[in-house]
Amino acid sequence: MSILAVTHLSLTLQDQHILKNISLSVEEGDVVGLIGPNGSGKTTLFNVLSGFLVPTHGSVHFRGQDITGFSPSKRAHMGIGRVFQNFGIFREMTLEENVLVALEALPAEQRKALGNLKEVVQGTLEMVGLSGHAKKKAGSLSGGQMRLLEIARTLKSGKELFLLDEPTAGVAPKMTHQVGDLISELKRDRKTVLIIEHDLPFISRVCDRVIVLNVGEVVLDGKPSEVKQHRKLQEIYFGADPTS
Amino acid sequence: MDFFLHLVVTIGLWIPISMGYTLLFGKGQVMHFGPIGVSVACGYAIFVTLGATGSYIAGIAMGILVGTAVSLIFAWLALRLENDGLGVMSIAVHLAAMVIVLNWTDVTRGALGIPRIPRMPFLETLPMFALAVTLASLFWIALFVWADRSALGRQMQALSESESFAKAMGVSRAKVHTIAFVLLGLAIVSDNVFFAQYIHLLHPNDYHFPTFIFLLAIVVAGKPGSMVGAVLSSILLVLLREGLRFIDLPISVLGPMRLLLFGVILLTAVYVRRDTLFPQKRTV
Ligand SMILES: Nc1ncnc2c1ncn2[C@@H]1O[C@H](COP(=O)(O)OP(=O)(O)O)[C@@H](O)[C@H]1O
Ligand SMILES: [Mg+2]
Repeated sequence: MSILAVTHLSLTLQDQHILKNISLSVEEGDVVGLIGPNGSGKTTLFNVLSGFLVPTHGSVHFRGQDITGFSPSKRAHMGIGRVFQNFGIFREMTLEENVLVALEALPAEQRKALGNLKEVVQGTLEMVGLSGHAKKKAGSLSGGQMRLLEIARTLKSGKELFLLDEPTAGVAPKMTHQVGDLISELKRDRKTVLIIEHDLPFISRVCDRVIVLNVGEVVLDGKPSEVKQHRKLQEIYFGADPTS
Repeated sequence: MDFFLHLVVTIGLWIPISMGYTLLFGKGQVMHFGPIGVSVACGYAIFVTLGATGSYIAGIAMGILVGTAVSLIFAWLALRLENDGLGVMSIAVHLAAMVIVLNWTDVTRGALGIPRIPRMPFLETLPMFALAVTLASLFWIALFVWADRSALGRQMQALSESESFAKAMGVSRAKVHTIAFVLLGLAIVSDNVFFAQYIHLLHPNDYHFPTFIFLLAIVVAGKPGSMVGAVLSSILLVLLREGLRFIDLPISVLGPMRLLLFGVILLTAVYVRRDTLFPQKRTV
């Protein structure tokens, strides 16, 4: 059974067809890249998957359960974790509080299963080399540090499916490899990861599969090496006449 | 000495509501402009019941019931309206409560208020009264400081910084905000149990808009969301307000002057804190 299955999903907002009949399924442990030009609907698809938008048609199943109408917090409790394009970090809160608030948002049984929360917080900060800054406001972090913290926090709060929206955006080049390493760690832990990304070499390095979205439609789906060579990709990105 | 104890009582009555309000309005940035509407409902619930039954226990129980119910109504509105809509609506609910109090004269005696409110037997002397108010106030200080440092405080802050980010982590806004509304409501019940006993009178004038301006001035001047700030600011502004009594002016001049002063304090505090008071919400 697929961990995530999207079936004939469409979304219309203000008379604009933003997502058009998208179907795709993702197996547990896969790391899947989601690419496409700006405005092709990638973030919108994530908003539907995490429950911020309700599709006009179609359904979303998570581990076989229909979650199409579930709220974002319910989905978070089920194990869907989102990492935001514009840093989902609370800048006015300390690093420690940023992790703690994610752990405390879990249902009671899950929270208890984590054991001592202070230790989990410490472990999370250590994981991304920030344990010396526990009491600092998160707003003082660099983009790369915020991204690492956000991914680690999502991991330590027991998420199984990760939706990473442009994890290298706003991250200094020398830190993107650390973000890549952290994603590889997710993969080793058999987590399922969907990554929206513009950085093709990065995608090739960390993903097993790439899905290409264009104007709200899935146009390509395959191995990174195949997709990269595909004529359609060049057309989408370089605007060649698709009928030629 | 009596004046000192009077200050202790007045400060002790402002601290609980100020802390509850700074949690909801300051930390949570929920535009609830109706806490005095909750307050008037509690005041009348307690003392109308007391008048009818002669029992303080019944009065307080009714106060808790009505305070919780009205807080839940506000919470329900807050979860269904945008923040600015809530601001307008909560002012309307406060006004509606005032209209009911002023016109349901059979029960409330309208603009006359309810006079000759007896004190509980052990609260008859001023020192005892000051002691009881202080103990109640310490209880609320401990409770709100604890709540602020617990998951509740963090989730309130997370929701105010970005509702989307908080929800994506599993925070339930309905739960967190409802708890904050009810905590504020119960602090308001506690204040009301004492206030009318203290002055032996329950009067609608004490629940008009200027009272809310004073509360807002305390919370904004004390740094919205800061528990310590709310306590210090309650002390400071009450001292200032009560100190004005010593200015030798007719009451007809002093009343408006006070209001003007707290209006100016509020304006200044809002101006000083303009960047952090209503920060830009971040969205997905
Ligand atoms: N809430 C919304 N209402 C109307 N249009 C929207 C909304 N959210 C996104 N869009 C539109 O949907 C399209 C896809 O946006 P988005 O998913 O952010 O693209 P990207 O692939 O760059 O992440 C854009 O044209 C955008 O303007
Ligand atoms: Mg995007």
